[in-house]
Amino acid sequence: MDWTEILQFFRGSFFKISLLVFVGGMTYRLVRILLLGWPRDRVKSRGSKATGVVKTYLKGLLVLPFIPWVKRTFNKNALTYIAGGLFHLSLVLVIFFATPHMLVWKSLLGFGWPTLSFPVSDWLAAIGIIALIVLLINRLTHPVLKLLTRSPLWLNWTLVFLPFVTGYAMTHHMLFRYEVLFGLHMITVDVLLIWIPLGRISHFLFYFFSRTIHGAQAGKRAVTP
Amino acid sequence: MTEKTVYEHWRESGLSRRDFMKFCGLLSGMMGLEFLPPVKAFGAVAGPDPAGLVAEALTSKPRLPLIWLELQDCAGCTEAISRSQSPSLVNLVLNKIAVDYQETLMSAAGFQAEAAMRGTMEKYKGQYVLVVEGSPSVDANGVYCTIGGRSNLNILREAAAGAAAIIATGNCAAFGGIPKAKPNPTGARGVGEIITDKPIVNIPGCPAIPEVTTGTIAHFLVMGALPKTDSLKRPLTFYGHAIHDHCLRRPFYDAGKYAGAFDDSGARAGHCLYKLGCKGPTTYNACASLKWEQGLSYPVQSGHPCLGCSEPNFWDGGGFYVGQSAPLERPTVAAVGIAAGAGVALGAALAGTNAARKRKAEKAETAGPKESSE
Repeated sequence: MDWTEILQFFRGSFFKISLLVFVGGMTYRLVRILLLGWPRDRVKSRGSKATGVVKTYLKGLLVLPFIPWVKRTFNKNALTYIAGGLFHLSLVLVIFFATPHMLVWKSLLGFGWPTLSFPVSDWLAAIGIIALIVLLINRLTHPVLKLLTRSPLWLNWTLVFLPFVTGYAMTHHMLFRYEVLFGLHMITVDVLLIWIPLGRISHFLFYFFSRTIHGAQAGKRAVTP
Repeated sequence: MTEKTVYEHWRESGLSRRDFMKFCGLLSGMMGLEFLPPVKAFGAVAGPDPAGLVAEALTSKPRLPLIWLELQDCAGCTEAISRSQSPSLVNLVLNKIAVDYQETLMSAAGFQAEAAMRGTMEKYKGQYVLVVEGSPSVDANGVYCTIGGRSNLNILREAAAGAAAIIATGNCAAFGGIPKAKPNPTGARGVGEIITDKPIVNIPGCPAIPEVTTGTIAHFLVMGALPKTDSLKRPLTFYGHAIHDHCLRRPFYDAGKYAGAFDDSGARAGHCLYKLGCKGPTTYNACASLKWEQGLSYPVQSGHPCLGCSEPNFWDGGGFYVGQSAPLERPTVAAVGIAAGAGVALGAALAGTNAARKRKAEKAETAGPKESSE
């Protein structure tokens, strides 16, 4: 089996299986959370739930990242905040707005959208990789973090880092032939898709879930989320 | 009586020694003798005079007997060769140094043609080169492709048995090509999957670049062996680099400037065709360096994305106009629905079991103190 065939398998049948496992796994996780149930909110309504939701997203995504010093997280641990923030920014922009990735979405959804120019997405990917390395060093050297970190977390880091580096090496034609790097990229992406529902990376969905709930609760109480 | 050498044939047809030396220079350049390792690998030294090496071979060796079989093909590779705009090279190789049997090009037909093939096979047993164009078909013992009432498998096996080497030209002969595309009704294969006991070289392409086929034939004549190949048995001289490596649109790829449609401003400005489905990054061939029609152009230069025709299974390798990053297989809406449904069902079932267990525990807890108070 040569790399062309390996690539075809991981771009084809195995990708499809991984995607289905991902969809099934995430649905399972969401259902389990929803069916845990929560106590009825008997507070008298003082404001709009929808406004609360909108406000919490605007604040969390558009305001606080630009004035991070008002947050205690930032003041207590600036490195994690900045590296973590840059990593997430890089991840989201690269996954949705790098040209090759948009073409993946286009083939899955049937429509595409404008993309970032290559140098921009390239720098974003580089920033993501550097941020991940910084976060790893921090985790390896910080005494408390080191104690808190168990093997699934190292696995999380590895499974996110590998698609990043293989993708970056691929676009720059580094080290190996293109189809080898493309094959490695697809293997790591497929494995990541299967792993996401099993681990903490599933927070990509639950983040929106919990923000919506908290925003709605705050909106109902007419307090700032 | 010893056979006439290539050079003697050449002079007899009225061509001058000057033309011969020019041809040798051209041939050695095309074979990449100046800088590629096969020269040293076969004990000969190209040194500073690769043309001299070719001239020496052609003045001392007889014409190369060659049998050209056509199996499940469109004769496109033959068409490409016969219509090539570099007659000085392709025609000279095929007329002056090789070819004894070529169904499409030879004037003989029917029994006469078969007799010519058989004659070559007997006379030059163990010496001739077998060029195969088109894919062999193995299903139903090769009955889907018969020539003169014989199955293609019989003909191929018989011709291969006496061959010194095999050159599989075109994607069909090399990897199965279009006949092998799903659902592959005839059981098409690459020649190398059927003939495993002979030295074989693949010249994939749709069609194969004429100069690459003839260059490989010339290599065998001059060096006495097939050229050094990659893992897919393609000569490194011609398949050592991806189309993307030598692409004239590469600077636009590096700058992230893509054509988004065949008639947009990017396409008119000659931008990269990656978004339009170009397979250049994973396709190894000499299109971007040798080009076609005497170096006039090649598909990407002409504004069409590379189809990846020198790679195995290119016909099933994703849509021709779909970006290469796109997955080859996508789950259907029904499959996604089933996966999500399975997730919901499993989640609900486990949540239900948990809830029942919780209720039972609560019941036991409330019942417990009562019993103890009695």
